[in-house]
Amino acid sequence: MLTVTDNKLPLITLLGHPNSGKTTLFNYLSGKKYKTVNYPGSTVEYSISRILSRFEFNANILDSPGIISLIPCSPDEKLSVNYVYNHPKYGKTDLAVVTLDASQLSRQLLLVKQLIECNFKVIIALTMVDILNKKGIDISTTKLSELTGCDVVKIDGRSGEGIDELLKVIRINMNLLNENNLKHTLKDYDKNKIISLYNDIERIEKDVLFNIEPVVKDNELINIENANKKLNVLSGLSVNGHRKLDKSTVNIDKIVLHKFWGLIIFILVMSLTFTSIFWLAAPLMDLVDTFFGNLSEITSNALGDNLFSDLISNGLIAGLGSVLVFVPQIVILFLILGLLEDSGYLARGAMILDKPLAKIGLNGRSFVPMLSGFACAIPAIMATRTIQNRKERLLTIFIIPLMSCSARLPVYALLLAFLIPQDQPFIAGFSLTAIYIFSILSSLLIAGVVNKFTSKINSLKEKSSFIIELPTYKKPKLDTVLKNTFKNANQYVKKAGPVILVLSLILWVLTTFPRQNTELTSDNLTASNSLLLQNDSLTLEEMDSYDLSKSYAGMLGHFIEPVMLPLGLDWRVGVSLIVTFSAREVFVSSMALIFKVTEDDDEGKFQEGILNSMREAKNEATGQKLFTTARIAGLIVFFVFAMQCLSTVAISKKETGGWKIPLIQLFSFSILAYIMAFITVHGLKFFGIS
Amino acid sequence: MRSAIELKIGEKAIINDIDNTNPSARRILEVGFTPGEEIELLFKPVFGDPLAFSIRGTLIAVRSSEAKCILI
Ligand SMILES: Nc1nc2c(ncn2[C@@H]2O[C@H](COP(=O)(O)OP(=O)(O)O)[C@@H](O)[C@H]2O)c(=O)[nH]1
Ligand SMILES: [Mg+2]
Repeated sequence: MLTVTDNKLPLITLLGHPNSGKTTLFNYLSGKKYKTVNYPGSTVEYSISRILSRFEFNANILDSPGIISLIPCSPDEKLSVNYVYNHPKYGKTDLAVVTLDASQLSRQLLLVKQLIECNFKVIIALTMVDILNKKGIDISTTKLSELTGCDVVKIDGRSGEGIDELLKVIRINMNLLNENNLKHTLKDYDKNKIISLYNDIERIEKDVLFNIEPVVKDNELINIENANKKLNVLSGLSVNGHRKLDKSTVNIDKIVLHKFWGLIIFILVMSLTFTSIFWLAAPLMDLVDTFFGNLSEITSNALGDNLFSDLISNGLIAGLGSVLVFVPQIVILFLILGLLEDSGYLARGAMILDKPLAKIGLNGRSFVPMLSGFACAIPAIMATRTIQNRKERLLTIFIIPLMSCSARLPVYALLLAFLIPQDQPFIAGFSLTAIYIFSILSSLLIAGVVNKFTSKINSLKEKSSFIIELPTYKKPKLDTVLKNTFKNANQYVKKAGPVILVLSLILWVLTTFPRQNTELTSDNLTASNSLLLQNDSLTLEEMDSYDLSKSYAGMLGHFIEPVMLPLGLDWRVGVSLIVTFSAREVFVSSMALIFKVTEDDDEGKFQEGILNSMREAKNEATGQKLFTTARIAGLIVFFVFAMQCLSTVAISKKETGGWKIPLIQLFSFSILAYIMAFITVHGLKFFGIS
Repeated sequence: MRSAIELKIGEKAIINDIDNTNPSARRILEVGFTPGEEIELLFKPVFGDPLAFSIRGTLIAVRSSEAKCILI
């Protein structure tokens, strides 16, 4: 028996098919205070939490990615199955709570049977009973308990219904924990074994399901069919209707999976997703932008013209603004992804795209990770674990950094705003869509080429598979989607925020020091000291006359200037590009900092300020305008391809199990980015656009 | 024996056997395609592959190279 005083807390593992309600139950029990965040698409990480104190229960509870069988089919499933037997950190599963979709009983009992056979202590939590009831069927928990030998409780993790009962049962089972050793006997596949298990299951199904009068709306007449069903209960006839598909799902799929309309809808959904990132977010971004612009101005006025004021308004507030300005876009992207996932559409999208993706060495299952890549490459790369075939998985990971993640959005937004007049948001939206389509097409092309190339040197044929359940369509639960969205956005800001802030400050220091105008240098003073000392001694004019090219940033910039010149850009852009290799978003704040220092400061909106400085920027050698249409287009193309994200390199190393792939990604994509930018700049020039 | 990929849209059939030589046979069985069950081919979207079958009250999409092992 395990008690609270044992040094290892009892471990309850939630198991079950994908979409059977594990995470919903987990969230209810844990109060969402868990460590990892699930991403739209799938539970790919194990989440662990203590059961909430209000349930007066001391145990760890583990949410897991869905498995349909204890015999794994992919590395992801193998890991999941191994963790069930023995979690590296929390040990052996003391109690397996299986969420069982009651409307899918016959398909989901297989896992329960396997678990019991392997000596797991199992409790069945029946979910989706409401859906079963709508089909005019109910389920007997006592009979199911008799036939399986485990305790059975009906629950609804959304409302908390039945959870008290479930906890009671868990408590009783905890006290009876057997010390039987878990068996690993299921390793071998045996066709007849599975068939005989299913035969057992069908017998159970017939015994536990029974027809009831379906829940009818008041105005619906009880028809003969319903009357018959009522009779069935009385006469004890066997259940019917439990193998019927959800009618409205079939009707919707008649269009969504239609040969022609299916494609139209797919294109429509995808273009709506991407345009709304720009359209819906634009006014909100404007708001954030104006706010930080004003804040920067107010602080600058309040603190006077000195170095400290410059640090706060140009370093700190500008940096903060550049982090927060793209939060609306991230929120909208996560929101749409969440809605699509919750409604059941993503599985259809994966199915529709499977054939063309298979042609270039990917898989229909690459679709969701790739789509997630438009939000952030890190969770997207983690989501590739659902792809069974290793080669397909690695190829998906390989091209995910080419998806235009949300960190690139502020960069595109700034550069597009430079090219396109403010009063034409339509053209801006259209151009952004074009950038996305361009990035998708080129990433697919790259995948195809890499696939051709690698299959030549590696003829090893691993089996490729696509078997996926198409869930019933559900009206998305807006509050859950919203909560998830804000959690993701919050997580994002928390992760990207400090990095960008620190980088902005470093950049500020690099552009501000050494100060050759005064006899004081940063070498013999600490930062705060120098701030205090120089508080009154420096005027704005002095700062403006100060030569950025002699600062540390300038030295760094001059070092890479030879690389920038072929693109028609100078060392100042070079500095901005160097810092973007730690995180792309920094581009905006670094451009702001560098060009605000060298050009006239502009009042008003933050972004307008940068744009004006950029418009006035002159090539120091020739005196001509630095930023032209062709060069800005070249910069956009550079950002489409370049792999400028340290976190992505790190996660790619972790998920591919080595440095090879992340290093290939880093170098090949960045060199490609440079070449493509060069072609763009000079190609446009050739056609008369300078 | 015919295989499930030869079904027309809307056509129903009873599964007779699962061809064990197909590497996906096990997963096909595990998701519920067992002999004796009724299946119906419901959808073949844009590119004609994968196929969506109704089985045990659910829709499951399967590539035709894998659905080939479902014998009817
Ligand atoms: N109708 C109904 N829906 C539920 C129930 N439990 C969970 N859901 C919904 O089913 C979907 C999948 O649940 P989730 O917990 O993410 O499943 P998981 O994949 O097992 O983690 C979500 O949209 C839930 O809101 C239930 O008892 N009844
Ligand atoms: Mg989940």
